[in-house]
Amino acid sequence: MSGRLPGSLNAFIAEPVPATITGNRAQHLPMSAPVAAAPNGSIRGAIALEGISRVFGGGVIAVDQINLTIQPGEFFTLLGPSGCGKTTLLRMIAGFETPDAGRILISGREMQNVPAHLRAVNTVFQSYALFPHLSVAENIEFGLRMRRIARPERKLRVDRIMALLQIDAFARRNPAQLSGGQRQRVALARALVNEPDVVLLDEPLSALDAKLRAELQVELMRMQKRLGMTFVFVTHDQHEALVMSDRIAVMERGRLLQVGPVLDVYEQPRSVFVAEFLGQSNIWKFATHAGNVAQTPIGNLVVGAPIGTQRTAMIRPEKIWLYPEAEAPGDRPNLFPGTVREAIYQGASTHYHVELADGAMILALDTNNQAAERSWGPGEKLVLELKPGNIMLIDG
Amino acid sequence: MDELSDAAGVPMSAITNAPQSGTAERAERLARAWRLWITAGPGLFWIVLFLVLPSMILLAIGFFSIGNYGNPHLPLTLTPIREVAGYSILGWSPANITTILRSLLQAVSAAGLTILLAYPVVFFIIAQPPALRPLLLLFVILPSWTNQVVRTYAWMELLGPGSALSHLAQTLGLLPPHLGLMPGLLAMQIGLTYNYLPYMVVPLYAAAEKLDWSLVEAGRDLYASGARLFWSAVFPQTLPGLLSGIILVAIPAFGDYVVPTLLGGGKSMMIGALIAAQFLQTPNWPYGAALTIFMLIFTCAGLLVFRVMSKRLGSSEGSML
Amino acid sequence: MSSRLAPPIRRALLLSSMPVYLLLYAPLALIAIFSFAPAPGGQAASLHWYGALWHEPDVLAALRRSVMLALGSSIFGTGLGTLMGFGLSRFRSRARSGFAAAIPSLIIYTPIIMPSLVFGIADLIFFNLLHKATGLFAAGLLTMGIAHVTFQAPYVALVVFARMSGLDPNLFEASHDLYANGWQSFFHLTVPVIRPAIIGGFLLAFTLSIDDFTISYFTAGPGSTTLPIYIYSAVARKGVAPDINALATLMIATVIGTGLLQYLFTRQKERRPMPRAGD
Repeated sequence: MSGRLPGSLNAFIAEPVPATITGNRAQHLPMSAPVAAAPNGSIRGAIALEGISRVFGGGVIAVDQINLTIQPGEFFTLLGPSGCGKTTLLRMIAGFETPDAGRILISGREMQNVPAHLRAVNTVFQSYALFPHLSVAENIEFGLRMRRIARPERKLRVDRIMALLQIDAFARRNPAQLSGGQRQRVALARALVNEPDVVLLDEPLSALDAKLRAELQVELMRMQKRLGMTFVFVTHDQHEALVMSDRIAVMERGRLLQVGPVLDVYEQPRSVFVAEFLGQSNIWKFATHAGNVAQTPIGNLVVGAPIGTQRTAMIRPEKIWLYPEAEAPGDRPNLFPGTVREAIYQGASTHYHVELADGAMILALDTNNQAAERSWGPGEKLVLELKPGNIMLIDG
Repeated sequence: MDELSDAAGVPMSAITNAPQSGTAERAERLARAWRLWITAGPGLFWIVLFLVLPSMILLAIGFFSIGNYGNPHLPLTLTPIREVAGYSILGWSPANITTILRSLLQAVSAAGLTILLAYPVVFFIIAQPPALRPLLLLFVILPSWTNQVVRTYAWMELLGPGSALSHLAQTLGLLPPHLGLMPGLLAMQIGLTYNYLPYMVVPLYAAAEKLDWSLVEAGRDLYASGARLFWSAVFPQTLPGLLSGIILVAIPAFGDYVVPTLLGGGKSMMIGALIAAQFLQTPNWPYGAALTIFMLIFTCAGLLVFRVMSKRLGSSEGSML
Repeated sequence: MSSRLAPPIRRALLLSSMPVYLLLYAPLALIAIFSFAPAPGGQAASLHWYGALWHEPDVLAALRRSVMLALGSSIFGTGLGTLMGFGLSRFRSRARSGFAAAIPSLIIYTPIIMPSLVFGIADLIFFNLLHKATGLFAAGLLTMGIAHVTFQAPYVALVVFARMSGLDPNLFEASHDLYANGWQSFFHLTVPVIRPAIIGGFLLAFTLSIDDFTISYFTAGPGSTTLPIYIYSAVARKGVAPDINALATLMIATVIGTGLLQYLFTRQKERRPMPRAGD
């Protein structure tokens, strides 16, 4: 399968956008359809979760009093380790599970007690869940058929979405005859063709190989921006979350730890868990401080801002500066000489596990823009600079 | 769905001021139960009404007195059970015990014979190219799709007084002149073996097809003779199939009705025919029901032994639903 | 795998299994040969006994009843069994275990493990009592049909359950996600997807009905003689007879022919993944 952006999509972008895709959205769900449509266009696609909780058998709380607002047209990602409750939360938005407490508003309407088939929400499943007895075109048509949309319009919309996703070539094939990437596109087309208020994606790329996954990440993101629909994406892959999302929510043990734009969450994690889950980090706890100097296990660390109640200092490996011993700037704070214990060459960058004088380990990353002249092997000595402005302070 | 099971790993400390019990979960469970009842309910109800309940009634009749027309009558009594054990006003007679033992023996030897016939066939099929195997298996099963009466009738033809086989037996002096190999115990044994052979082949084939040949390869270096290789590396692997086969053959053979009545004749009474006679000829329902209780006890004992043994073998046989 | 066995062993297997195949078919073949016995007073092989069958109204009536019974009970048994297999697979709580959760399985397995004789006699007594109490359920095709449905439904349920277990549970959620309500999901997703199991279950139910003698025999009434009962009574009365040979040969030929056709049909379908036209 071609990994390039489909030519037809380029053509499509140049054309005026057809009404049925992004036009008058209030008319997307005809009156004949038994689906609760948005009362007005402005909040169509908005999701509000108010105090949502869900308890499973044995008193296990999968989702714990979550409040969350997702804007119309946003690419929103729920990120967390498996078992954190993100899939349960997604399933409650889809209508496969009911919350024990709280309200779910979709496009401004209360939905927590509305069954799945009456919600203007469509899901792309991790397993794709393509109907094995139907062809690709029939799979995509299924939702329109269930809503009793007239046959000519059905055909029009199915053809258009298949062209958009470049799957028209195998419209007549059975799902069993498709590759993983093709199935993924069919599953996406099957959701998008209904022009729902919200598209839910439950780790839809996890079954694909790395290269295809990277291509589809970009394609999915562009598709979402083009169509302007709200996407709620669930993943445990932090890289995927960083690449695709407008905003992300990091979940753990049924609670939201941090919600915000990708950049904010990465640069300013508010907890150790977020810092460690999203990207790599060096973290030190400290008990005492003097002004803006934290007394950490590796020594005194000058930080950029005055220390309040925070008791944890964190720095990302890529924000550490590395110098050969001879070139180290002598007159600056936070200089730590060390010995390389392990150097992991990764093509674009190299990871160094450096042992400091007192035995503490620190992870630093160097971009290989001059790898030939500047690299260190195990046992070699260097100097690390932890610039005060690059050190983040975390509560707790 | 893994989310669901993973969630079980959340420690209770994470659970603070959230609702205590899952009301949504209870509602979902109720909805599931309701859907279960409207889909599976009618079928289950049907089986309970037309088999479980009638069987209970039949068993209960074994504890009634006999009425004037052989029908069950109050008061409740243990007389029919005692009669089955051989006690009557005339004293003790071993006739019933003999009949039960004879039926058991017939069932067990039928199982044994089917095992002897099934092993070569199963391994012959396994030795063929995979594309050919289903067809060869089908040829074993096909005869069993014809009605049991027809299959048994075929042996009446083969074993009757005028048949070639009977003539052969007569000339060899194995059989008095003018008599046939049928009716009799031998004919019954042949009939049962023939009728139930496919029920041994199919489970044995299923087990043999899954055979781990690497164990056989490993055994080849250890054991000198082919026979020892078979007993130590192949046979144990087919045990689950063999067990199912024995159950599938012995239980129906024990209570078979057609073979004893067509091939057995009057002298070698079997429990199936004896029970049927209490309902069809000399009506004595309580006595027939008491015989049925004994038969079911043996059947259940067989199933129990099978369950225990297959559990010990770690096989998942019969745990499909 | 086949190459792992040494040639002498393979030869021994062939030599020891051929007699078994012979044993399986020789009795049936013999019936067929004897069915072409000469007409009374004649010498040459003839089709006389087949002709005789054709003029025997009892045989034709028995055949009609057998087919009616098998068709009627299979349709009903397949319906009940399909719903049962579907429901148990979809809606049975997975969380619970123990005796209460095992009750449906116990009920379903009862007809399968119950010896036919006990099955037949239990129903004989039950319908007898029921008839005395209500005046309905007189022994006949109706009571036979009820008994047949009772043993067909569990087998159909097992076939359907096995098919359901092989399906992605997300499929059902996907159908609801795509706006199908419960019934739409059942008719547009479940039924088409498990159609092979339903057809297979129906064929199995039909075979079970045709193949059954014991249960039919005990639940039959005076006017409901089916083919196996007809043969059994004739044989029990007068032993081996040429017209019975002819009748048995026809039954054997039908079963073996149907079995082979079914095999060829399913093999054909397996080889070619079904291309489907749009709706």
